[in-house]
Amino acid sequence: MKRGGFYLTGFLLLMAFDTVGAISFKFAGMHALPVEANAAWLLRLFEKPWVYGAVAGYIGAFFTWMGLLRHAPIGPAFAASHLEVVSVTLLSVWLFHEPLTLPHALGAVAIVAGIVCLGLDESRTAAAAPA
Amino acid sequence: MPPLTFGLWLANVLLDTGGQLAFKAAASDPAAGDGLARWLHMARRPWLWLGIGCYVLEFLAWIAFLSLLPLSRAILLGSINIVAVMVAGRLLFGEKLTRLRVAGIALVTLGVAIVGAGG
Repeated sequence: MKRGGFYLTGFLLLMAFDTVGAISFKFAGMHALPVEANAAWLLRLFEKPWVYGAVAGYIGAFFTWMGLLRHAPIGPAFAASHLEVVSVTLLSVWLFHEPLTLPHALGAVAIVAGIVCLGLDESRTAAAAPA
Repeated sequence: MPPLTFGLWLANVLLDTGGQLAFKAAASDPAAGDGLARWLHMARRPWLWLGIGCYVLEFLAWIAFLSLLPLSRAILLGSINIVAVMVAGRLLFGEKLTRLRVAGIALVTLGVAIVGAGG
């Protein structure tokens, strides 16, 4: 059970860092439009504060992830870390007034169901494997 | 999806998968030891740096991708990374693909296809 608590705390922390990162990424991109493969785009990107929020989210997620990866198999751990799609989808409807269309909602349900399958598989594998 | 958006999506999947595999190779080295010694051990080998290189490029590809699409749509399309990493984990590290895991991969792929086709 100690290991379960370690994973839960780690994944929640990872989800929080990933969510902050994704929202900051979106703001960074919005403030640097239009997208161009040149220095002007990079300059527009890095002169605004948003990109640094995204970097902070990345760094936090990186160290949390490296700690988790030491014991967790990469596939299921990666899947569990992707549950931030739920928090990010809800926050972008609220923050950016993005519409939730029917195909969008159906796709989201299928993706979350898939992630849940992978999470269930992980707990089964963890229960079966020797510590 | 316009070609630029699709290209950025593809670049993001490839760089993310490459980065994850490099980090797994760095983190799971049994000779690495503990604490600071573990980080020094990883810093002297290419895997950690390869992973960081992939992530720096992915960082730019992802921002460009996100500024072309609504965030809620982009984050769902990015879920294909789960499938890519899992398949690569199977091929390179011999990780098991159970029935439940295959079902999960199929559902995520289906969801990404629905969101991608849904305009």
